[in-house]
Order: sequence, then C-alpha cells, then structure tokens
Amino acid sequence: MWKFLGKRFLQMFITLLMFQTVTYFLMDAQPGDIADLLTLNPDIPPAERERIRVDLGLDRPPAERFLKYIGNFYKGDLGVSFSQFPRPVTEIILERLPRTLVLFLSASVISFWAGYASGKVLAWKRGGVIEYSSTLVGVILYTVFTPWFALMMIWLFAVYLDWLPPGKFLDPILWLTAPEGIHANDVFVRMIWSVMIATGVMILGLIGTQRLSSQLRKTGRWVSFVVPFIGVFLYWRFASSGISLYAWDILQHLVLPVLTVTLIAYGGTMLLMRTSMLETLREDYILTARAKGMPEKIIRDKHAARNALLPVWTGLVFSIGSSLSGGIITETIFSWPGLGLTLLNAAQVEDIPLAMGALTVTGVMTLLSHLVADIGYAFLDPRIRFS
Amino acid sequence: MTENVLEVNDLTMHYMTRKGPVFAVDGVTFHVKRGEAIGLVGESGCGKTSIAISLLKLLPNNAKILNGEIKINDVDTVPLSDKEMNKYRWKNISMVFQAAMNSMNPVYSVEEQIAEAMREHMPHLSDQEMSEKIDYLFNLVGLDPALKTQYPHQYSGGMRQRAVIAMALSCDPDIIIADEPTTALDVIVQDAILKRIREIQEELNMAMIYISHDIAVIAEVSQRVGVMYAGKLVEMSSTEDIFHHPIHPYTMALMSSFPSIVGEKTELVTLAGEPPDLLNPPAGCRFHPRCPYATEICREQEPDFKEHAVGHYAACWHPGGVK
Ligand SMILES: Nc1ncnc2c1ncn2[C@@H]1O[C@H](COP(=O)(O)OP(=O)(O)O)[C@@H](O)[C@H]1O
Ligand SMILES: [Mg+2]
Repeated sequence: MWKFLGKRFLQMFITLLMFQTVTYFLMDAQPGDIADLLTLNPDIPPAERERIRVDLGLDRPPAERFLKYIGNFYKGDLGVSFSQFPRPVTEIILERLPRTLVLFLSASVISFWAGYASGKVLAWKRGGVIEYSSTLVGVILYTVFTPWFALMMIWLFAVYLDWLPPGKFLDPILWLTAPEGIHANDVFVRMIWSVMIATGVMILGLIGTQRLSSQLRKTGRWVSFVVPFIGVFLYWRFASSGISLYAWDILQHLVLPVLTVTLIAYGGTMLLMRTSMLETLREDYILTARAKGMPEKIIRDKHAARNALLPVWTGLVFSIGSSLSGGIITETIFSWPGLGLTLLNAAQVEDIPLAMGALTVTGVMTLLSHLVADIGYAFLDPRIRFS
Repeated sequence: MTENVLEVNDLTMHYMTRKGPVFAVDGVTFHVKRGEAIGLVGESGCGKTSIAISLLKLLPNNAKILNGEIKINDVDTVPLSDKEMNKYRWKNISMVFQAAMNSMNPVYSVEEQIAEAMREHMPHLSDQEMSEKIDYLFNLVGLDPALKTQYPHQYSGGMRQRAVIAMALSCDPDIIIADEPTTALDVIVQDAILKRIREIQEELNMAMIYISHDIAVIAEVSQRVGVMYAGKLVEMSSTEDIFHHPIHPYTMALMSSFPSIVGEKTELVTLAGEPPDLLNPPAGCRFHPRCPYATEICREQEPDFKEHAVGHYAACWHPGGVK
C-alpha cells in the first residue's frame, strides 16, 4: 500500500511537471502580454509600458522565466498576480478554491449517490412508464448542451419561479450593510466546517454501529443521522446567530449552481448504473442468492448493486476531468467567483502567474481525485490489489 | 414426517419464446424419499435444469409453471409467492448450480456468503456457532477452514465447487439438487468431487437429486434413476433396473452406448436422428421418429407413464422393444 502510494505520488509529480511545462508555454504563446493591454490607455506613455514589462520580468526569454517560475513554485511561492497587483496568487487561490471545491464536491457526491440509487431501482423494477420516462430524462440530461441547460435553469428558478438568486456568490446589497468584521469567506469557511463535521459524525456513526445487533444498529444509525442535523441547526441558530443571515444568503446562492451541475452529472451516472445493474442481474451469483432464499432487498442491494457499482465507479474517474472543466462554464454562467472563473479572467488579461496558479491547482485536484477514485476502487473490488 | 421429501406430480412448465412456447418440462411425475439419492439423466436440452429451477421456483420471466404439484414435505409450493417460497429455499431444498464456477459473488468472502444464508434461515445461531459450523462444512467438503475468509477468485475451480457444495449444505436442507456440478471441471477434480458428494450424501443421509447427461456419473451416485427425453420423464426405476433391464427403447439405446457398464452382450441399438425440437415436438410418443420399434400407435397417441414392474415406471407402447 505505501509502496503503491509512493509510486503514485511520483507519477503524479511527473505528470504535474509536464502539465505545468505545456501550459506555461501555451499561455506564453498567446500573442501580446499584460503590458500591451495598456496600449489603449492614452494616459500611459510607451516608455512607461516598457518599464512595466521590465518590472514584471516580461522582457526575459520565456525559458528563463519558466525555470524561475517552476523553481519558485516548488518553494511554495506562486508569485504575484499581474492584474490584481500586488496580491499574491496563493492568497487569491485560497479565497476562490473553497467555492469551487464546494460546488464540485457536493455536486459530485449528490449526483453519484442519486444516480446510483435510482439506476439500481430502475433496473430492478423493469418496464413500465416510470422506467421509460426516467431513462428518457437521463438521456436528455446526459446529452444536453451545458450552457443552454444552465440558462434554462436560471430562467426557471430565478426568473419564472423567482425562488433563487440567478447567480453570484452573495447579494451585494445585503452585504453592504454587514457589520464590520464579517467577511464572506470566513462565513463560507465556517459553513464548510459545520457540514464537514456533521458528515464526519454521520460516517463515524455508520462505522461505529456496524458491529451492533440489528435493532441497536437501526437506532444507532438513526441517532447518528439526526444528531448532526440538530447540532448544525443549533450552531447556526444560537452560537453564530450574528452571521447566520449572511450564511443563509450564501447558501441560497449556492443552490442553483450545485443543482445544475448535479443534474448534468446525474444523467450519466444513472444511465450507467441502470445498464450495469441489468448486466449484473444476469450473473449466476444472483441466481444463487435467490436460491438461498435471500430477501429481495438483500439481493438487489448487497449482491447486484454492489457489483454493478464497480463500472460506475470507474466511470466516475473519467467524469472527474470533464466536470472540472465543465466547472469553468458553469462558474461563468452563474458568475460564481471560483477557481474556474478566476482562471478564465486571468487568461483573458494575460495574468500569467494567476492563470498558471489556477490551472496548476485544478490539475492537482484532478490528479488527487483520480488517486482517491483508484484507492476507492481497490476497496470496492477485492480482486484488485495495490500493485 | 412423511416418507417422501419431495413429490412432483404432473409438472408442466414452458418458456415463452418469440417462436412460441417451449415445453421444457411436460407432465413429469416422480418422488424422492428421505435420504434417497436419485439421478436424472438425459441429453443436453431435454429439460433437466428446467426441472431443477422449477423445484426451487427460480424461473426466468418468460417461464411459467402451467400445471402440477411440487410437494416439499407435503406442502405444495406451486401456488406460493416468491416471498413465501423463500422460507423453503436453502432451508428445505438447496441447489448446486451447473455454472457453479460463477455461483459465488466476487466481492464477498466465501465465509460471508455461507454465513449470509445461515443468518437468514437459522437466526438462532450465534456468531460462534455459525463460525464453527462453517469450519465443519469446510472439512466435510475437503477444504481447509483457514481458507474461509478468502474471496472466490483466490480459489481454484475445484475449490470453488467444494465451497459451493458447502454453501448448499449450510442450512441442513432436506434435499439438495446437484445440477451437473462437475461438468465444468477437469477430469481428475471431477472424480474427487463426485466421490466426496457421494460420501457426504451417505454420511448426512440427505436426499439428493443428481443431474447429469453422463450415465456413468449417475450410476455412481444414485439409488434410483429417471431418464428424460424431450421434456418428459420416459423411464424411472432403481439404478440396477435401469442399467440391466431398461424397458424404454431410449434408455436401452442410452445404455448400449456404455458397453462397459452393461457388460453383457446386448444388441447395440444405435440412435439415429436428432433430439426433437421442443417448439414443435412430434405427435404421439416424442421418441417415435428415432425409435426402432415405433408403430402406428406410437405416432398417434402419447403413452402413459405407468408402472410396468414394481417401482419400475416407463412411458412406452412397446416396453422392452416387444412388438
Ligand atoms: N430461458 C429460456 N428461454 C427459452 N427457452 C429456454 C430457456 N431456458 C431453457 N430453454 C429451453 O428449454 C429446453 C430445456 O433446457 P434445459 O432445462 O436447460 O435442458 P438441460 O438442463 O437438460 O440441458 C431447451 O430446449 C432450452 O433451449
Ligand atoms: Mg442443464
């Protein structure tokens, strides 16, 4: 296991280095640089432009700049943003990354779970209107053009029904009057922590009750699901009542983008799970389980769905990359100030350090999620060993 | 307790296909006594597996039992719902499948798959008792109990087959069906497992239906033998009778293709032609197109499955080939 991890990290490092090299030179190959963008400004004389160029080091040959960048990067210095001079890139990324992570992780987890659960049931209860229409919806969600779908979601929920805000991270008018010392990111990070702790308690509850007898287990599980909910509620209602209004605002802004990304990712997972489940149901060991007189639910969940999950999990690995890049589109449409939008803006104004930083972090995220997916697979399938 | 663990009366089941119904089991009647091992033999496609899955009511969607009774310990299970049937499965009647190589779920340990059935049908057992019982079963089928926590893929084909047999025995069934349990294995392993099955059957004094297309295998394990042809049971009697005094021409032909067993010089009856298409079975006796003794009546009327000597049943107009 440790040997496997060591090898994987080495591979990831090499991949990342290659990725950085390619992206740096591609970025550099864009015609012009940030100083050229000042050309249109009549107040800035050409000499001054040249001075800016020298100050930012843009007069040096690309290879020299690249080596310097890489050297600094692995010392932990990601440089200073050109467009938001002199903010360090690390600071900007640390501010934007949680927003993207929350969007991406919650959408992935929800869509995966929902796709798994519904695909399983659809395959089990073959036939009928429900299966037909659900499959149709799945195909539509799977093949729909993301920007169009996102716009339709905005139209439906923000305009027509007017239930949710159409975009952005928060409501500026509300936050304008916010008391001194309340920062959006602090509130957001607190929200993340409370959800993470609640989830942690639930998982611990699930693990802790595993060895109990079935009656105790049911109660134990119920408690470990309800307690975190109550805890989170109490925390926001009383301990943090001053900022709960602002947290609620962020939460409202979060719903629509998460829902959109979730629905798009859901279609594929559900269809794949359904097909995989139909295949699995034909396996001999399903017949054995039926012959053993196991109840339907055990055959469906423990025997069929558990095996049908394997190819779906593999599919997850492939979808990670596309949902991260799809994240840029979604963030743009919802004006969600996460990493994707940051990357897009930085690239447009030739802010090389910021764009490189955002790209690299996205790359690291992709590599890490692949690693997690691979390790998860080894746990799901006893036939796979770390090697 | 009645004498018969299993009684099958006039069982008829078909598969619905695009070309029409396939009568894979047609009017089959037999019984199995407590502790008795019977064999079912017949060419591939004659409906042996169909009988087995009907007994456990594990029919695919396109299959249907049209008629007849299946009495397990005197209870007719044909009208039972799937949920009610679950009480009988494994507890009273269990099965080792033809494709036993893939009969185990790859993601659970062998122990878990055996324990699962025991938890369902013998909830009074403690974890400790269950673990001991699994050790006992492993020893019984000739496996090292230390291997029980391993996964099916870590077993060889023969070991997996033994584990599947252990699983089928786990809930002390009244009757076990073994559907060609050794067909997928290589010959040496086949012999070893067959021998073990026979020993276990005698040791536990458990009723068994052993299904095979191989008459030599059947001879080794069963006290009585039923011969199937095209969805019908055509002859049934003690193994001794079937081998030495067969009265149905199909059985006679079957036996003469195993001269080493018959031993004596019997007239070698060759079987011309193909087994009939079950979509369009011939009228009258289904064997008549291939039967050397067939007459007018064979082509027109189906013979009844009736007792010709004590305990010796056959469906033939010319038993023993007498015109
Ligand atoms: N699911 C099915 N659908 C349609 N026909 C089937 C199905 N299963 C078996 N059959 C047909 O039923 C007949 C008997 O099959 P089976 O019981 O498997 O024979 P055996 O076990 O003696 O080889 C064969 O003609 C086979 O083609
Ligand atoms: Mg068969």
